[in-house]
Amino acid sequence: MMRLDPRYTWMRQVAALAALLAVWEAADRANLLNPIYAPSPSRVGAALVDLFADGRIWPHLEATFGAALGGLALGILVGVVLGVVAALVPFIAELLEPVMTVLNAIPRVILAPLFVIWLGIGLASKVALSFILVAVLIFFTVFTGIRQVDRRLVERVVTLGGNRRALVRHVYLPSVASWVLGNLKIAVGFAFTGACVGEFVAATEGLGYLLSFAQSTYNAALMFALILLILVVVLLIFGLAGRLEKHLLRWN
Amino acid sequence: MHDLTISYGGEPVLEGASLAVGDGSFVSLVGPSGSGKSSLLRAVIGLQRPLSGTVETGLAPSQIGILFQDDALLPWKTARENVALGLTFNGMVRGKALAEADAWLARLDLAGLGDRFPRRLSGGQRKRVALAQVLAMRPKLMLMDEPFASLDAIVRARVVKDLVALVEREKISVLLVTHDLEEALSLSDDVYLLSQGPRARITEHYDVPLPRPRDPVLSRTHPAFAPLYERLWADLSREVDQRAEAA
Repeated sequence: MMRLDPRYTWMRQVAALAALLAVWEAADRANLLNPIYAPSPSRVGAALVDLFADGRIWPHLEATFGAALGGLALGILVGVVLGVVAALVPFIAELLEPVMTVLNAIPRVILAPLFVIWLGIGLASKVALSFILVAVLIFFTVFTGIRQVDRRLVERVVTLGGNRRALVRHVYLPSVASWVLGNLKIAVGFAFTGACVGEFVAATEGLGYLLSFAQSTYNAALMFALILLILVVVLLIFGLAGRLEKHLLRWN
Repeated sequence: MHDLTISYGGEPVLEGASLAVGDGSFVSLVGPSGSGKSSLLRAVIGLQRPLSGTVETGLAPSQIGILFQDDALLPWKTARENVALGLTFNGMVRGKALAEADAWLARLDLAGLGDRFPRRLSGGQRKRVALAQVLAMRPKLMLMDEPFASLDAIVRARVVKDLVALVEREKISVLLVTHDLEEALSLSDDVYLLSQGPRARITEHYDVPLPRPRDPVLSRTHPAFAPLYERLWADLSREVDQRAEAA
């Protein structure tokens, strides 16, 4: 069997992608593909350039970013607080755990129409959907994490003379931070899913709204361009989250 | 401690244990697995409530240090921060505690490693950091629960040698629990033997007449060592055999 040099894996992957795009483009030019369903890479590229050329993409990007980052921040905050409280107060855990389990079990995007009814078609309903997606994830991360905190570390701090406050500061909070950061990439993905689905259901701006517009006008090139744009944006944020995780969890 | 009875999972694992650790003396407790050795140390430091009996140390909690089998260093803190932790808990300002931690790290051959996180230290280095963490508190009594069991023989011998030199110099009392009979005899002034649990009891006491200061490796060649080891081994074997027959 041929042995592949792992150092050049990325080059082989890029070459394979380029070959696929070239075949796709050639098939389009030879009229083998219907551009209504499968527009060529050059048509998708042109649609993408168009979006930026006249500047109309920026308000949509701003709307989606605003909803996703707002939902992400709120979701992390509320998820951490509820997770910590539920882990430390059994009565609160009794009340919260069943609700969170149900919310975790269902595809939470089905709540999008409800949020539109409650909060309107503006930013709030998108933030709410991102928030609910992220908060449930973070709640379980923190709730189960605190319950599984290493007892040896707790005993170490206690035997060194640490009080309850010292335990929270030196054991529980760093543990919580590491679990949350470990799930940050998933949370970012959830936040953008919430924002885009919310915009797709009912909105006047945002990448999800543009996707909905492209679908209703059968504009596959615009749809591909938007999917590509969302992919790039999320990958960029994944990269930032990864760097943040690497820096803050450098002890690991 | 006097007439101490300790339970594990509701059942008494150790019954009626009485022993004394004199000022600056090194006392070991040996016995088979399940004889409640670790539970006894946890009761002394207050991590476990005994079913009955009393523990009197006459010391403040900060004057009692404990070394567990696992080094249990906080993984998100550097070696220096880990050592300084107990000092700051007991009121020392952070800057002074960090300087003190550096001095202890240097004393334990860890100079220059203060900025490393535990994950980037070897097993022996982590154990030394844990030791520095406890010694920095200037304890009067150190409890040790087989702290060196996970180390390889050479690293273990070096760490133990440093530990003995430090406790002799600082006149720290030590209560060590271990499976290792040779280690117990080579380090201790007194050794107590526990029977097989549950309901283990202290069955024998051995006075170890080896001179101090003591080298934990060379002390094994002292003429008094081998007879004492044979006696301890015979007593321990008899305990285990009797329990097996009873079962």
